[in-house]
Amino acid sequence: MSDATQAPAAPPTTVTLTIDGKTATVPKGTNVLEAAKTVGVEISAFCYHPGLSIAACCRQCLVAVEKNPKLQPSCQQIVGDGMVVHTTDAQSTAARKQMLEFTLVNHPIDCPICDKAGECTLQKHYFEHDNAASRIDTPKVEKPKVVDLGPHIVLDAERCILCTRCIRVCDEVAGQHQLEMKQRGDHEEITTAPGQKLDNPYSLNTVDVCPVGALTSKDFRFTMRAWELDATPSVCQGCATGCNVELHHKNDRVWRLVPRHNPDVNGHWMCDEGRFTYHDLREQRLAVATVGGLPASWDKAVKAAADKLAVPLKDAGSVAVVLSAQGSNEDNYALAKLAAAWKAKLFVTARPDRGDRADGKLRVADVNPNRAGVAAIAADAGDLAALEAGVNTGALRAVVFLGHDLPVSETALRRLRELDCVVALATHERGPVKAAGIALPIAAWTETHGSVTNADGRIQRMHAAVAAPGQAVPGWEAVARLAQATSAKVAWTTARDVWKDMTAAVKPWAGTPWGREVRPLALRFAGSRG
Amino acid sequence: MASHAHDDHEPTTTGPKVLATSTVSPKVRTIAVVRPSEQQVSYLAATKAGLGITLKHFAKNLFGRRRTVDQLNKGEHPVPTTAFQKALSVVSPVNDIETIQYPEEKAVYPERFRGLHRLMQRDDGQVRCVACMCCPTVCPAHCITIIPEQSDDNGIEKRPAVFEIDELRCVVCGLCVEACPCDAIRMDSSTHAKPVEERADAVMTKEKLIAVSKENGKNPTSIATQGGVGPNWRERG
Amino acid sequence: MDWLSNNIYAILDNPALKWLLLIMVMVMPLASLLTWAERRQSAMMQDRLGPNRANIGPIKLKGILHFVADAVKMISKEDFIPGSVHRGLFALAPILAIAPVLIAFAIIPFGPTIYPHSYTSTLDVLGLATDPAAKPFADSIRLQVASFDYGLLFYFAVLSIANYGGVVAGWASYNKWALLGGLRSSSQMMSYEVAMGLSLMGCFLLVGSLEPGFIVANGASSQMSGANPLNWLWLWQFPALILFMTAAIAETKRAPFDIPEGEPEIIGYFVEYSGMRWGLFFLAEFIEIVFISAVIATVFFGGWQVPFLDADGFRVGGYVTEINHQWVSTGGWVLKLPHAAVTALQLGAFGLKVILLAWFQLMIRWTLPRFRADQLMNLGWKVLLPCALGWTMLTALFKLCAIYLGWL
Repeated sequence: MSDATQAPAAPPTTVTLTIDGKTATVPKGTNVLEAAKTVGVEISAFCYHPGLSIAACCRQCLVAVEKNPKLQPSCQQIVGDGMVVHTTDAQSTAARKQMLEFTLVNHPIDCPICDKAGECTLQKHYFEHDNAASRIDTPKVEKPKVVDLGPHIVLDAERCILCTRCIRVCDEVAGQHQLEMKQRGDHEEITTAPGQKLDNPYSLNTVDVCPVGALTSKDFRFTMRAWELDATPSVCQGCATGCNVELHHKNDRVWRLVPRHNPDVNGHWMCDEGRFTYHDLREQRLAVATVGGLPASWDKAVKAAADKLAVPLKDAGSVAVVLSAQGSNEDNYALAKLAAAWKAKLFVTARPDRGDRADGKLRVADVNPNRAGVAAIAADAGDLAALEAGVNTGALRAVVFLGHDLPVSETALRRLRELDCVVALATHERGPVKAAGIALPIAAWTETHGSVTNADGRIQRMHAAVAAPGQAVPGWEAVARLAQATSAKVAWTTARDVWKDMTAAVKPWAGTPWGREVRPLALRFAGSRG
Repeated sequence: MASHAHDDHEPTTTGPKVLATSTVSPKVRTIAVVRPSEQQVSYLAATKAGLGITLKHFAKNLFGRRRTVDQLNKGEHPVPTTAFQKALSVVSPVNDIETIQYPEEKAVYPERFRGLHRLMQRDDGQVRCVACMCCPTVCPAHCITIIPEQSDDNGIEKRPAVFEIDELRCVVCGLCVEACPCDAIRMDSSTHAKPVEERADAVMTKEKLIAVSKENGKNPTSIATQGGVGPNWRERG
Repeated sequence: MDWLSNNIYAILDNPALKWLLLIMVMVMPLASLLTWAERRQSAMMQDRLGPNRANIGPIKLKGILHFVADAVKMISKEDFIPGSVHRGLFALAPILAIAPVLIAFAIIPFGPTIYPHSYTSTLDVLGLATDPAAKPFADSIRLQVASFDYGLLFYFAVLSIANYGGVVAGWASYNKWALLGGLRSSSQMMSYEVAMGLSLMGCFLLVGSLEPGFIVANGASSQMSGANPLNWLWLWQFPALILFMTAAIAETKRAPFDIPEGEPEIIGYFVEYSGMRWGLFFLAEFIEIVFISAVIATVFFGGWQVPFLDADGFRVGGYVTEINHQWVSTGGWVLKLPHAAVTALQLGAFGLKVILLAWFQLMIRWTLPRFRADQLMNLGWKVLLPCALGWTMLTALFKLCAIYLGWL
């Protein structure tokens, strides 16, 4: 996978081998399983995960290597020059089929109840290999069910096929040894380490990697079946890391976030906190424009805003436009451009850092997904202190702000409330948005096309997955409507137009391609995860 | 109708003129088809023949006697045996009308009739459905709505909190029954969806679907083991 | 009151009143009943029961009340007018469809002339012929709304206006399928009007009159009583009967000629109509059935004549004599009947003939499959029209011979 794509050009570092009659050239140190993938040969496996260390305990990936008397686990077998591998011969095929039957001896086959059904590796391998009725007529070994392992995770020990992926995730990704095996033979089962709970900040990755439904997320459990969902690529908005995620949605509602592989940002993983950010998308949303706290049509609200802005706009320095590090590049750029047209003063707001989050892995202290982006768009914008000062002194007579985060002091907030003209472009009806005279509803990050810039300065695309609630429109469109009402020459028709405009105007982003707009992919046809 | 013509054809003595016969398969032949041109055809003869047929049916059905509901259900056509019946059948023959006048008269549905859905129960009275979502997935009419919930039972952890079938949307295809892995939904209630005054009444809730078994004298339990016979998943019957 | 009782017969003889009574008492109920009869009859032909459930409490009448239910339904339905239609023409089209056929009923003689003063006694036929102004014949009510010399030509002229009903409906609907249906309707009706008119030419030649009242009273030949079934035109003009019936059924736009608006499959010209507007098209169709039955009965089956029932009673072995340029049946063995009984029998006979012919049209409609458009045109132009022309010439030839040989 990722290793194969990084194949260097220098000859000594690559190895050439034959797999099922196909010649594969892969970097030195690659295992046979990955090498087979490069020539389109899929070898079944349970315990192997490209992001984890090799355990070779499930024996599901056995292949025949010529001049080798025994079958080899392809995940552990490192490629050698001139190696000849067979995956479809009678011996290795029978071995894998028999291993699968062993795995299924004590598996309860309660797929109708199991949340993993539809994206289950065991189901997939069963249909590819065995596809036969069980030959077992003795009672299955009974193990604990619905075991509460921690705040987010439930274990069904009967379904577990003992691949130890979850143990390795805790050890290697979270760096905490919280899961262990106990007992032996067919009584072996996963359990928490003595005195531990499965409560590390990366614990839900164990659910992702679990090849069966042994570990299930309390958050997602029994809500949706995997095959009913559609997947849309996006970027986590939890912090400045910008982990790549897939939104799994159905019925215009996001049901879960799962990490999307990106070796440069997050690898295969993401943190639990980030996974739960989608809950916020359905709470306290601003669905209609409000004027003075009462619902109004877009036309009325925009006209009211323009009327109130008319006087302050004559005095260039008295209008404050506040960008938000929580908003997307497009929304911020649009608002900045409007501010330039108005000759207004620019400020930037952001959520305060949370030092306890930083762990040197994926979690960082900065909880704003787009601080770097806003900095690139408006380098000379004032900070919150400047905004507070301006409001307190009365130099600012009108404030237009993006988002619902305005962490200023109580007095400044009170002064803000007393201002005649405060316009909020917000997704949620919270804090300062409630206080604003006019609030315009905008679409959140799952509802529109856009981009954010993470702490490394990497611009990443988010794709529209679900419909925006009520009359909310993309932020840049709200800006365009506001501009039209105030006769400012700022207008776009699509997010792509904003992007083109923005990449031309912001120096470091010059020439960045927009890329393809991804449409949701039905997971029903996407095969298994984990 | 009571009987249909058999498929096997009688060999004809005089056939169409054969122009050529295939050497490979002698049954394959090229024949001359003689069709009169439209100008040659008089519609009158055919009209007369057709009117004769319809008139015969009309007269028989107008003056004849209807069969009893029992005879209609069994597809019987009584043959007069006694002298009186024979005499009567001349004056007023038993006619061919097939109509059964619902709701005063009712047709007996065949045993494999796909009718109103019903939800099966386990021995302890719980609904067999585990909310696996196979039926709403396969349903071509999108008429099944299930909202799952966790049950307090550790054996079978999942059950439907809401299970609704919109009988107006249902196309009675039976795919939900095919798809069900737990023998929880069946369509063998030998009845059909009831007529309703309002659309909302056509939506069968979980309770209504469970009650269908009792209302139609059907056994609500199943001998299938998948999905569990008792409260526990692993118990075998 | 005196004036009313003095002029009561004159009032009853008023054409407008007669027309209204004719339409309201005879045509409308019959046409409405046909809507039920058609469904019930087709059901019987197809081994079904048909509509038999409409009831007022326990009164069911085998489902006859369905026509009441239908009427109530259509009248109370929403009068929906689509957005883009031409509202004036849209409203006019159903009237254009139904009005001509109602007007055309004016020429149909649905009974003999009534002499109210001779009600209780046998009509003195010879006296009537010699002195029509005598007291017993002073007031007469002619059971025909209008007696024109150009009689049946009036029918052709008026019915051709019904053409516009379909075309205007199709055009006004602002719907291309409706428009195509209207075009199909107009092409069909124009094609068959020609054959229909020509098919009756032989009858006119033979009888020597276009006036339906005269055709009924006189029959094919003046040498025989008009009440003699052998004197009715079905015998002498049988090919014309077939031709006219075919063309007339095509004029009603019903199966097997229902190409303009085959209800379930071909979208027709009244697809945008609903409620009573549609009901008018529907009713017009059934009124046309009644009308065509009446015309066929009048021209070919002796109209209101009862076999062998002359004005004074049943007569066997009589002869016809000319008195005052009128042909009067006389002589022979007579079963004398009062004028009222004769009139009642004759009115009943006409009704029965119309009902039987309507029944026969329904039989045809439920027996034959629909023609294809090209078959329809072929039949109209290449079969019916030449046949009608040929039969007209044959009849003319026959009449020339007959005159030459002194038969007539």
